[in-house]
Amino acid sequence: MDSWRFVAAGIVIAILIAIGAVYLASPAPDGLESTALVVRGDKTLTGDTPPDAGVREDPAGRLTYESLLPDYSLGDAWGKPGEILALTTGILLVILLIYGISRLVARPAK
Amino acid sequence: MHIPDAFMPIPQGIFYWAIALVFIALSLRWVRQEMDETKVPLVAILAAGIFVIQAFNLPVALGTSGHLVGGALAAIVLGSPFAAIFILSLVLIVQGFIFGDGGLTTMGANILNMGVIGGFVGYYSYHGILSATRSVNLSAFAAGWLACVIPALAAAVELWLAGTFPLELGLIAMGIYHALIGIIEGGITLVALRLIASVRPDIVEISNGVGA
Repeated sequence: MDSWRFVAAGIVIAILIAIGAVYLASPAPDGLESTALVVRGDKTLTGDTPPDAGVREDPAGRLTYESLLPDYSLGDAWGKPGEILALTTGILLVILLIYGISRLVARPAK
Repeated sequence: MHIPDAFMPIPQGIFYWAIALVFIALSLRWVRQEMDETKVPLVAILAAGIFVIQAFNLPVALGTSGHLVGGALAAIVLGSPFAAIFILSLVLIVQGFIFGDGGLTTMGANILNMGVIGGFVGYYSYHGILSATRSVNLSAFAAGWLACVIPALAAAVELWLAGTFPLELGLIAMGIYHALIGIIEGGITLVALRLIASVRPDIVEISNGVGA
């Protein structure tokens, strides 16, 4: 498979994964968040996560930062399509960064 | 496993950033020395795939979900732990700055855990298990699992030092949850390695049980 077909196929697969992630991803906390909930006593080690449990992310003395597209979303008004667009933006940004940095520092092909 | 800013004092975050920057510099040396233009498309797609699949949380039981981290996969496919550091660093930078997934002050710790520790554990465990068993499937699965669990235990220790988790409970909970999540990591590492080797055998060669 030549490089451009490989990249095109890769982008298509990545966008399909993005669509799957937006509609099918589990809302349950990840391993780090679950551990934080267990430590705080909001969850037992082996039990389900209560629906109202959340991890506090703004204690004093820590950096607070509002990202451009928080939670992989364009905002409530855009809904699920906005989340797909946000993830697609990330996919393309990662690819552009790899190509850009590689062009700057990699050696040319023999 | 993305540590948010809230979980770590800023000075400790700076300490991990300093360590991470050394490895990022070494990974750029790998890019300059090892990555010719024929490898760039694979690296780009691998990075994009790792970025997007990290957004796809799968339920694993115990009220918890998890996703691929990708350190082992990147290191095995590209034949160097420094490839994993390069890819995971870029992915974590985009996730942190653009999407607020993982902190900025804690980004060095996240790069250290998922990129550096994940990459080295994944690469060397794959080749060690492969040389002992000659099984690509077992080696890839085990390397993925270890590259999920060991960085999680490292994060537990860092968050104990940060005063966020108690040591024992942090290690137990992070260990148990990521032992489950590691099954996803091992499975996807194995399937993706086989898939990439089938479409780019010029770069990834596993047909003789030798591995990338």
